[in-house]
Amino acid sequence: MKIAKRLLAYALPHWRGLLFSLALILSMTLLVNGLPLILQRMTDDCLVEGTVSAAERIRKLSFLGLIYLSFAALGHLIRYIQSLLTAWIGQKIIYDLRLDIFRKVLRLHQGFFDKTAVGTLMSRATSDIERLQHFVTEAVVGSIADLAMLFGIMGYMIYMSPLLSISIFATLPILFTAMVYINARLRNANRDIRDRQSRINALVQEDLTGMTTIQLFNREAQAQEEFVQRNQDLRSAYFDEVRWFSLYFPTVEIGQTLSILITLAVGGFAILNGSTSITLGTFIAFLAYVQSFFHPLGSLSDKAGSFQVALASTERVFALLDTEEKIPEPESPVSPERIAGTIAFNNVWFAYNDENWVIKDLSFSVEPGQVLAVVGATGAGKSTIINLIGRFYDIQRGSITIDGVDIRQFAKNELRSRLGYVFQDPFIFTASIADNIGLNTPGVSRDDIICAARTVNAHGFIEATPNGYDTILNERGAGLSLGQKQLLVMARALAQNPELLFVLDEATASVDTATEMLIQDALGKLMTNRTSIVIAHRLSTIRNADRILVMRHGQLVEQGTHNELMANDGYYHQLYELLLHSPECD
Amino acid sequence: MHYFVPHRFAIAATALCGLLTVWSSLTLPYIMRLVIEDLENETLTPERLWRRIGLFIAVGTVAIIFSRLIRKIPLKLSHMIEYELRNDLFEHLTRLDQSFYRRERTGDLMTKLSSDINIIRDAIGQGLLQGSRTLIALISAAVVMLMTDRQLTEIIFSIFAPMSLIFFLVLRFLRRHQLALQEHVSEVSNYCHETFSGIRCLKGFALERRRNSDFEALNSELIRKTMRMQRSRQLLWPFVDFCFSVGTILTFIVGGKRIIEGTLTIGTLMQFIQYLAFLRWPLLALSFVTSMVQRGKVSWIRVKDILDTQPEIAEPNAEALPSEKPKASIRFRNVDVEIGGQRLLKEINLDIPMGTTLGITGPTGSGKTLMTSLVARLLDPTRGEVLLDGKDLRTLPLRALRGMIGYAAQEPVLFSRTLEHNIGFGIDDPDMGTIGWAADIAHLHGDIETFPDRYQTILGERGVTLSGGQRQRTSISRAIARRPDILILDDVLSAVDTQTEAAIMKKLQPVMAERTTLFVSHRVSTLRYSDEIVVIENGRITQHGTHEELIQVPGYYAELNTMQQLQEKLEADE
Repeated sequence: MKIAKRLLAYALPHWRGLLFSLALILSMTLLVNGLPLILQRMTDDCLVEGTVSAAERIRKLSFLGLIYLSFAALGHLIRYIQSLLTAWIGQKIIYDLRLDIFRKVLRLHQGFFDKTAVGTLMSRATSDIERLQHFVTEAVVGSIADLAMLFGIMGYMIYMSPLLSISIFATLPILFTAMVYINARLRNANRDIRDRQSRINALVQEDLTGMTTIQLFNREAQAQEEFVQRNQDLRSAYFDEVRWFSLYFPTVEIGQTLSILITLAVGGFAILNGSTSITLGTFIAFLAYVQSFFHPLGSLSDKAGSFQVALASTERVFALLDTEEKIPEPESPVSPERIAGTIAFNNVWFAYNDENWVIKDLSFSVEPGQVLAVVGATGAGKSTIINLIGRFYDIQRGSITIDGVDIRQFAKNELRSRLGYVFQDPFIFTASIADNIGLNTPGVSRDDIICAARTVNAHGFIEATPNGYDTILNERGAGLSLGQKQLLVMARALAQNPELLFVLDEATASVDTATEMLIQDALGKLMTNRTSIVIAHRLSTIRNADRILVMRHGQLVEQGTHNELMANDGYYHQLYELLLHSPECD
Repeated sequence: MHYFVPHRFAIAATALCGLLTVWSSLTLPYIMRLVIEDLENETLTPERLWRRIGLFIAVGTVAIIFSRLIRKIPLKLSHMIEYELRNDLFEHLTRLDQSFYRRERTGDLMTKLSSDINIIRDAIGQGLLQGSRTLIALISAAVVMLMTDRQLTEIIFSIFAPMSLIFFLVLRFLRRHQLALQEHVSEVSNYCHETFSGIRCLKGFALERRRNSDFEALNSELIRKTMRMQRSRQLLWPFVDFCFSVGTILTFIVGGKRIIEGTLTIGTLMQFIQYLAFLRWPLLALSFVTSMVQRGKVSWIRVKDILDTQPEIAEPNAEALPSEKPKASIRFRNVDVEIGGQRLLKEINLDIPMGTTLGITGPTGSGKTLMTSLVARLLDPTRGEVLLDGKDLRTLPLRALRGMIGYAAQEPVLFSRTLEHNIGFGIDDPDMGTIGWAADIAHLHGDIETFPDRYQTILGERGVTLSGGQRQRTSISRAIARRPDILILDDVLSAVDTQTEAAIMKKLQPVMAERTTLFVSHRVSTLRYSDEIVVIENGRITQHGTHEELIQVPGYYAELNTMQQLQEKLEADE
């Protein structure tokens, strides 16, 4: 019920449209279902011989014909307008909902994304929403229209001949039950088909990725056997579907044939018994009604089961919308004009979950304009440091300050717009190269973009692409080498001109030597005159840093300049030696 | 299309059912006409009415029974063909080699196996069902109507011919809008996908607001495109129903005048009105069926494409087969491998005598895995040859060759089955003895004992997710469980820590010693056990010798050795 209420809240702004739509449905029902009534009049007043002259009857025939035509035209026109209106309202509701989901996802904290697969989010934003839309427009509004249609027809029928109507309606409970039953079986069969299809897909997916393994171990025959087994399961589910499907329309036909039969039999015998209330015209009109009677009946029986599916989707969508946002905005955010650039960690403790501390009691500070390099073995907590400053996660104890102000006092957007990140896995948007660098940030001109690209040595390869800066890159930047993508991401960071810069600098084996030189050079330029923290793996970056922080198991073990640390002959010295000999790096 | 031949009787039955259901359906209005004419002429008597009712029930029953059969037979047939086609396609896919799988994306192949085959099936099923019924219905109805009354027939067809045409046009228009909408929908979903997967980057640059407003624009466009599609979609049925009303009223007015003049009966008029209702669907079905068959053809071409692909790794001719099992000595003679114009292996000459262990090392991407792939014939050399027991591998049946090999890859593919199934994967009659033995050698048995279901533990998403090292060890077990003549271990200990590595090597040593082994590794600590070691750099063998020989000469191997000694020192300090 709560869910229905929430969904209703989305529909409420459109109540005028919905009301109008309802009015249209009613008038359409009256007009369209009045048509057989006119046929009855034509038959009884014009076609059957009576006291009126032939000419008069022909005149009346044409006159009623015109009325019939205008009723039909108006009725179907209203029907068209009504269905468009309903579709439009449905779209509007879904528009709001989809936007809410999208905005919600963008507000969620990084920890949520660590735990939630992109695929799950995608199905919320696409298939669940689509199901919901289907439900709102087709099921809810559709059912109302079907019911109106049904009652409209029944009303006219009773008005014309209570006897015939009641004899026909007597068969309805059985027929409707049969249709609901068949529809339920059909839905079951369809569910089985989906299940079995996805079981086949899972098998095929695995077999196709592991085909080499299958071939190496001579298991082709077994793989085929399993496939045939699942394919058989699928086929039997399909056979089941065919069985019920092939019953569905014949059931409707039974209903129609039966209604005609009842009309003929009951009407015929009534006339034989001298009844005057049933005429030839009644026959004609009833034969027309039973033709249109079964369409809304069928579509109602079809909708009976779609509610459950939609309910599940709605629940999932609302659950996402209700997810707690873990990185709160400050109540009264500070917004300094300029940041000098002193970053300080004061006794910081941090764990991704529970008490598994990744950062333990860490304290250090970076002075404005300094380049700080963080080194240490994998898993020492280096990259966590820069994630914490951007508030991708909030720390559990201690504080992180920028120019003495706790970062939790900045608005997140404000804070992050002053930071620049260069991640090791360069993310490329589906957009032109220029937009990938400029990110459409207000105040970043084409000249700025080109200047940034020149500075980080990216201008050369950009000019070599088919359309230069206007070349559209597709998702993940297919067509560019990894080195080129890294340069592009650096140009992006530079063009945004952030006050603080964080670089995750992972030397990658697949970058050739020439590009590697370009990247190193670019890194140097990027960090000039800017407070920077670099998670360093390249020897050159480490040597050139103003200060080096040596991390181990989440703790600070040493800090100082390269020369100081080398003189120390401690952990850093060993790390440095190792990097020096690693054939994959440098 | 040999798929149809076994089903020729079903196809004939479909046509027969079509005839029966259509003809009986066309008879019903005639019976109704008789009753109404009796009423008109006041000649109706109870027994005449009873007779008509009896006739109506009989004919109606026939119509309904065959109306079910004409659906059931062709649809069932289409699923049978679907089943066969899907089996054939999968069977063919198991025969295609690595070069094919490098070229094709798994997603595309999945589409061909599911939606393309489904489209073909619908084209067959609906094509047969609607096609046969529509044709029969149109022809029979036209004949019956012409026989009954010519003028009214002309009126009906003169309305419905243009109506079908317009319907067809609107349908095409609709399909265009639907396509545009579909494209936009996938654009929206791509945009979401990109946003969700690049969320860190977005947040890092504080792009949420811009992203939101872009999405808003995409979302509004979605409404616009949907409504454009709806404008034609919602037009279809009101339009058809309106034409139907026009047809009814025209029949009524023209027929009515003749009734008043006395040249037509109300019963006949009624009969025609019934035919009008009957014809509605067949006329529209024509346009559905044509488009469905067209789509089916396109899908069939895509599926046929795969069925026509021949594997490049070909089986040898039957005559050339050797009679006995070859000895496990391997020789590379002037082997070159080129892929996509790049020379990845250059002039490899190498002898691996039976029972020896060859260590292979070198930088990432230098061609180590290619060498092992050549031995298993996952690909053939561009030039030169690989010999087994002095004979070119290409003269051996694939089954026989691969039956001799146990292969463990660096990033192994395991299946979402039990551990037992995975380890015993390569054996014909897996027994627990062998499986336990193989798990023990790979130092996996202890890990397995800690799992709740032990060897019955299911791997993958629905069960236990193994660590990288455990996966590699499972893959080693799988390879040695076959007790192969040739053992290929391609960097299988890269994700295993040093202590476990030592423990594995101790047990693996004797197993390797009994066979011809190719052992790819980056670690000197494991390479040193090899009888001989080759260093591959840039597709070429640059160093060749024993561990003792190679550490003496400056080069890749000696450098690797120094680095790893330093690393050990560092780890010892931890």
